[in-house]
Amino acid sequence: MAINKNSTVYTFGFSIAMVIVVGISLAYTSLSLKDRQDANAADKKMMNILSAIGVEANRANAGDLFADYVVERVSIDGSGRQVNATVDPVNAKDKQDPFSIEVMKDYRAKIKSAVKAADGDAATLQAALESADLQFPLYRCSKDDQDLFVVPLVGSGLWGPIWGFVALEDDMTTIYGANFDHKTETPGLGAEIREGFFTDKFRGKKLNTAGPLLFSILKGGAQTNENSVDGITGGTITSKGVDEMINRTLAVYLRYFESQTQTRAQK
Amino acid sequence: MEYFNIFVKGIFIENMIFAYFLGMCSYLAVSKTVKTANGLGLAVIFVLGITVPINYLLENYVLKEGALSWLSPEYANVDLGFLSYIMFIAVIASMVQLVEMIVEKFAPALYGALGIFLPLIAVNCSILGGALFMQDRQYPSIGEATVFGLGSGVGWWIAIVAIAAIREKIRYSHVPAPLRGLGITFIITGLMGIAFMSFMGIEI
Amino acid sequence: MSTETTPAVTQKKESLFSKKNKKLLSDPLNDSNPITVQVLGICSALAITVQLQQAVIMSLSVLFVMIGGNVIISLMRNLVPDRIRIIVQLVVVASLVIIVDEVLQAFQPDISEKLSVFVGLIITNCIIMGRLEAFALANKPGPSFLDAIGNGMGYAWILLVVSIVREIFGSGAISLPGMGQVKFLPTSWFISEGGLYENNNLMILPPMALITVGIIIWIQRSRNQALIEEN
Repeated sequence: MAINKNSTVYTFGFSIAMVIVVGISLAYTSLSLKDRQDANAADKKMMNILSAIGVEANRANAGDLFADYVVERVSIDGSGRQVNATVDPVNAKDKQDPFSIEVMKDYRAKIKSAVKAADGDAATLQAALESADLQFPLYRCSKDDQDLFVVPLVGSGLWGPIWGFVALEDDMTTIYGANFDHKTETPGLGAEIREGFFTDKFRGKKLNTAGPLLFSILKGGAQTNENSVDGITGGTITSKGVDEMINRTLAVYLRYFESQTQTRAQK
Repeated sequence: MEYFNIFVKGIFIENMIFAYFLGMCSYLAVSKTVKTANGLGLAVIFVLGITVPINYLLENYVLKEGALSWLSPEYANVDLGFLSYIMFIAVIASMVQLVEMIVEKFAPALYGALGIFLPLIAVNCSILGGALFMQDRQYPSIGEATVFGLGSGVGWWIAIVAIAAIREKIRYSHVPAPLRGLGITFIITGLMGIAFMSFMGIEI
Repeated sequence: MSTETTPAVTQKKESLFSKKNKKLLSDPLNDSNPITVQVLGICSALAITVQLQQAVIMSLSVLFVMIGGNVIISLMRNLVPDRIRIIVQLVVVASLVIIVDEVLQAFQPDISEKLSVFVGLIITNCIIMGRLEAFALANKPGPSFLDAIGNGMGYAWILLVVSIVREIFGSGAISLPGMGQVKFLPTSWFISEGGLYENNNLMILPPMALITVGIIIWIQRSRNQALIEEN
């Protein structure tokens, strides 16, 4: 062979050719599969929302069931004012669609630090959420002739993020259903928040709109009333995280609900 | 507090060896004596402490969706995430080379201790694992990412030094012949993993 | 620890299924098994052995990357400059892994979520790099292909056995692809339902993967005395 394959020129040429080939083929794979991947992510989200109102969907029928049950998607800002509302079919690519609000991203970028800075002071936190450029999605569903409102929640457990959905009945204070999930909580302790025995406790409980706390997760084994549930024994910090995310998030939505009932009353 | 939390978690609860089995190849191959195990362990701490923050910058200012928007707002929709594996491994391989050269030049004593281990580390799963976990968990700042890298490194170091110490002593025991060497090492590592699980309930 | 190096194939013409080539396939399954004998590639293997289904997908991914990497490197073996051969191997493997990851995300999203970072860790799976360096760089594509299948299968069967053991004892069920979890025991046998049986939750936890491999090694070496190590 005439070419010396250990010469510098050849080595450089080889590297450049390889980078081009690899770059093009990977970019092609990634682009051609992107739509499918995005659709998968959207299906997963729909399944979670539906499960909060007690509808078990799978990947195949998530889109159809979502269209059947979810009648309206609303986005509101930090002070509870409506920003956007749509009844059109979901378009996950449209940034204006409330469906494409990434609550986890917002929580990480803006809300988490605000919660820390407020240090338990509700008024400070409220002010911070109002001034931040945030949007919160709300899904109005209709099941068995009843309006249900599904609210996504994100918060922090002991080791990492926890998240979930709460569905409220049309009186906007009774909890219809809830589900929670996590990736990193302690197995057997905090990890139990995703289990049915915990989420079932929320069903039928009411939000205490008179305050100071809308809802409490008590230390395991304590006496509960209609505004509280038992926490998980040994999973204290995870339970506190659930408590915090419910109170913080629902406070924003309640302001929206109040303005809605007022406008309805005026009519 | 957050930093301390991540550090402790990296060492005890999400230990690279006991919880994720990362870096098992070199863990099993280089754990025959405490001295060499110690050297490799320190080199892993060192390399994780350097590569995790570098990959963090790469991830957040180049690869992630919208990460390039600091160049110009036009790039806000560019998502190079699909290149992350290849970039991470390239960064790790080249950083290890670079570190090796720098250490050799400026700290010959350190090179004497770590030098032979550095080339081994480029393909140590725990290093790439560190970068991938950093990406997966989305640490909010470079400080937390660095602390995570160091914590994981220390966890790995503790694991390999401990197993080396046990293997030095186990030579004097009557291990059933088919279990000698590899088999018993696996089982001991499993038992150590169970011991480490007792840290899981701690809250800081 | 025996690191086996196979001599380069020098014969002029040789059928793909000659005795020697068959050995390429069968050796890694037992005598030079990548996991239990050569101690390679354990990193990405064990963390995903909680369920059979994940282990199957992981094995297929590794098999694909191995075959692809071995054949590509073998085809390029006369073109790759010596100085950058490690980087070239890394780039080839990493690209194949990215393709696997993207395909899983698109077609098996649930499993891809569970495997999370461990798909990416196939890149640093020592078996793959080890075979590329020791075999593919010196051999023709045909034998390299067989060598990849052999080693990939050697890796896969350990993974499958470990995951079957862990799932049966840990969850009392087996998750078959396409069928969901198949339970063995009637629910009434469980203590929670008034029976006598309880799942061993320890099996689901990471350390039991190591102990299971330890026991597999024990069995394998009792049957094959040649593999026993000197102290």
